Amino acid sequence: MYPFTYHRPASLDDARARLAASEDGRPLAGGMSLIPTMRFRLSSCSDLVDLNAIDGLAGIERHEGGIRIGAMTRHAAVEASAEVREAIPALAALAGSIGDVQVRNRGTIGGSICFADPAADYPAGILGLGASVNTDRRSIAADDFFTGLYETALEDGELVVSVDFPVPERAGWAKFGNQASRFAVVAVMVSLAGGAVRLAVTGAKSHVFRVPEMEAALAADFSAEALEGIAVASEGLNEDLHADAAYRAHLVGVMAKRAVRAALAP
Amino acid sequence: MTRERHYIPESRQREKPKSKYFAIGHSMKRVEDTRLLTGSGTYADDVSLPNMAHAAVLRSPHAHARIVSIDKSKAEALPGVICVMTGAEAAEVTGPCADFSSPPTTQHCIAVDKVRHVGEAVAAVVAESRYIAEDACELIEVEYDPLPVVVDLEEAVTSTGDAVLHPERGDTNVALQRTITFGAVDEDFAAADLVIERRLRWPRSGGTPIETVGATAHYDRGTGKFTIHANTSMYNYVGWLIAVSLKVDPHRLNIVPTDAGGSFGSKLFCHKVCTLAGTLARAAGRPVKYLEDRIDNMTSGDAHGSDRLYDAQLALKRDGTMLSMRLKVIDDYGAYFQYGVGQHGNAMAQVTGPYGITSVEVDLTAVLTNKCQQGAYRGFGSEVGNFVIERLVDAACEELGLDPVEMRRKNLIPKDAFPYIMPTGNMYDSGDYHAVLDEALGMIDLEGWRKKQAEARKEGRYIGIGISTCQERSVFSATEFWMWNPNETPGFTLSSSPESVSVNIDPTGKAFITLNAPFWGNSPETMAVQVLAEKLEMDPADISVGYADSDKGFNSSGPGGSRFTVMIAGAVSGAADVIREKMLRVASHMLEADPSDLEFRAGSIGVQGVPGKEKTLAEVALHAHYFRLDLPEDHDLTSGIDAAYVYDHPVTTMPSEDRSDLGIFYPIVGHMCHIPVVEVDVETGKVDFLDYVAVHDCGTMVNPMTLAGHVRGGTVNGIGSALYEHFHYDESGQLQNALLSDYLHPTLMETPVDIRVGHVETPSPFTEYGIKGGGEGGRMGAPPAIAAAIEDALKPLGVKVDSLPLTPKVLRGMIREAEANGGG
Repeated sequence: MYPFTYHRPASLDDARARLAASEDGRPLAGGMSLIPTMRFRLSSCSDLVDLNAIDGLAGIERHEGGIRIGAMTRHAAVEASAEVREAIPALAALAGSIGDVQVRNRGTIGGSICFADPAADYPAGILGLGASVNTDRRSIAADDFFTGLYETALEDGELVVSVDFPVPERAGWAKFGNQASRFAVVAVMVSLAGGAVRLAVTGAKSHVFRVPEMEAALAADFSAEALEGIAVASEGLNEDLHADAAYRAHLVGVMAKRAVRAALAP
Repeated sequence: MTRERHYIPESRQREKPKSKYFAIGHSMKRVEDTRLLTGSGTYADDVSLPNMAHAAVLRSPHAHARIVSIDKSKAEALPGVICVMTGAEAAEVTGPCADFSSPPTTQHCIAVDKVRHVGEAVAAVVAESRYIAEDACELIEVEYDPLPVVVDLEEAVTSTGDAVLHPERGDTNVALQRTITFGAVDEDFAAADLVIERRLRWPRSGGTPIETVGATAHYDRGTGKFTIHANTSMYNYVGWLIAVSLKVDPHRLNIVPTDAGGSFGSKLFCHKVCTLAGTLARAAGRPVKYLEDRIDNMTSGDAHGSDRLYDAQLALKRDGTMLSMRLKVIDDYGAYFQYGVGQHGNAMAQVTGPYGITSVEVDLTAVLTNKCQQGAYRGFGSEVGNFVIERLVDAACEELGLDPVEMRRKNLIPKDAFPYIMPTGNMYDSGDYHAVLDEALGMIDLEGWRKKQAEARKEGRYIGIGISTCQERSVFSATEFWMWNPNETPGFTLSSSPESVSVNIDPTGKAFITLNAPFWGNSPETMAVQVLAEKLEMDPADISVGYADSDKGFNSSGPGGSRFTVMIAGAVSGAADVIREKMLRVASHMLEADPSDLEFRAGSIGVQGVPGKEKTLAEVALHAHYFRLDLPEDHDLTSGIDAAYVYDHPVTTMPSEDRSDLGIFYPIVGHMCHIPVVEVDVETGKVDFLDYVAVHDCGTMVNPMTLAGHVRGGTVNGIGSALYEHFHYDESGQLQNALLSDYLHPTLMETPVDIRVGHVETPSPFTEYGIKGGGEGGRMGAPPAIAAAIEDALKPLGVKVDSLPLTPKVLRGMIREAEANGGG
């Protein structure tokens, strides 16, 4: 790690002020991705503004439009939430598939989507379920939020406050994870709501993406069989030690079918 | 054509196996647990000396390059930096690191003139804190002149010129090429009906303990003496070689062992880190701590294991009788040697496995490449041999249409053939291999699984059952390290590999055992306590254990090669005999009885056949310590009760001059049968375990619970070797996965819910109580069994397993290829 100044504000306003006053400040949520990159000196900052002491950023609320999850809500809380399990069991499954128990007890939904790791799970949940991201300034639609490798639509100093998930009729989560980190090699969230299908893939590209051909086929026939023969091109997919592009493209097809089966499971 | 039976020394066993034990054979809780599980252990990083400074190492980004220049001025100018050393500067005061190869591959604790692998030390910084030291490393400017990089082991055979790593050894990267023939190989192959041939690749993986290697060194200018606290193991065996590197007399180096947070072989010696820390401490004039970080450990530690390509042949009769083997092997040793080609000496201990094969030819080519050197890793080369022979056996079954269980049953050495001299001249001391096989078959519902397999196949699911029947040689003798070396220049041909302990009985009758080798992740204290409790019929709670440093320690080879339990049992038993004799003598005066009429009985010494006429051990001890002169005149009976005992290797003979016979060097031989049941997800390539049975025969068990822990841990280790682990070097020699996020281990999620362990006990006729080693077994039997299970699962697709690891990506690729070729 390179040296930095640590802050622990008690309010969102104070956090914003400290970030604004810093030369190159970063907010700290669960730290499950940021801290390791800082430890390896792959990233650094002048100031680290810890959001963990701010009240009101964590929590899960069921309301008429769906489910609102506070930005600082831990993955373990989402995994265990009766509201989430009842309304969107696929989202609870996603949260329960992240990392390991320690990571889930520490990591937050806000941190995950702001870091926008190409292999993070929540981006697929946000995009595949058509959630909207509420910040201290505005609400951003899922389709507009993830813009690139570790990049989001957030402006300088903009903080995510919560995420709103609509409740779909059906949703399914399927993941092929890295054995060590449990990061997604390829994972798919699929949802069906009002005849519209969203199918989002994480782990396979620079950032999460939807697969329109699969969505169209599923809109016509929401079954795993409907995906037969729909392949994702391997061009542009991620390549690393654990999976080359062709393997990832193949896994997108496999995980998409498994996600649909999960969505249809009783 | 049968070989002459070789000379087998008479057994020196004093304690015969018993039908009933006082402490041995009990699943006693580990005495180490309380200390370790409450965070009270003292590991390498827990050592803190007054005025201690910290070191960090700048490592080479190049796999092979000349060092043109090093500018350390900016680093030296950083506040908090005490000194910065380059390899050239270090070499002025410190000689090359210890090395057992012949001729040696010169290696310095900091590279001099040339780097030979990514991660090799180029400079080191000592600073007030590790942070400052790391910062300073980034300020060192090094200019490199890249050289051709050799990473492929077959290319290494032919590379010349600038691609040669150690030109002083000749214009080649072939470090050693030698063929040794044992028995009538040509005749046996001529008599064969069938020769199975496979090209098999065993990948480079390694021990990756939670704790890396670390040393805290202090150099006392007043006495000219080094003190080095380190998590090394062989400090009472070859630790003095570090003094030689540091250019002081060996008595001017005291190595103090710390607890080791795991080793798996990788901390056997730790010569580089100790030598580096000593060099830096002397230069800095202050104690210096250096602890490898994970990247240091994975790119430049002692952890890398065998990296072999085999062209292997097995000659058989049509009825399945195995006759002979020809093995042509290239082993990629990386840039340097640590133990020479000792891993191939080791493999010769059991190269023909548990089968009645009468001849074998091994053609070894050891090559040097631009990778981290090999060290010791659980199995030390024999695990690879097990994989090779079991793959050949399975291939033969396939070819001949024989059942893998019956094929093995037919060829296993029968129990009345022991002690058995195998073709290389090593001895298998005892065994009942058929009993192990039967025990395993009794634990697994083979028929049931075959039914489930057939049903699953109808649903498009792929279940497979594998079996391995493997040897676990234990209790190495030092000849394994040099037997392959050229006859004219065999190097340091040591033959001893003893172990020793000292035992004191205090005035209250409690015992203290001093071990001369460290704690490095196993249960040495528990083993010593159980054996001493057995000998003295003492409450195990009345025995404690400590560790001697090299100033006070004596003859110890340390844990390694599954030897420690056998060896300390021998040493404790020997020391306890001295203690017993003295306590009986004291008690005989107190009880006014002849020593031969006395017996140890549960905490007391009493007159045989006279209940109640006894003295507690505490009473005897108190007398021995404080009231000796109250006793009647007894010449040479001194006050106190203590003993030290050196236990030599139980049975060793020397290799013959021409190496056609390697002698007895790894004779305490256990056996195992592993039967995993797997399911392969053909869509993803992921392997899941549905069941796993592992039956081991490690002779008399000292502690069935800890032995089962070894078996389970070793099996998980073997699952890693089979399915996940691989140090992946790219063509430019970059190690691409020098982190635990990319070097994949099996976690709880990838391992069987329950590895069901069974035991058979065939005592050794050569060791005390008949104990055999059991530390490496799991990893030695799991990989071939898992390979067989996967091949069995994918039989409908025609997938053949010739290389490891079978990561999901690799296995999915093989399945895709098989599907494309019309399999299934």
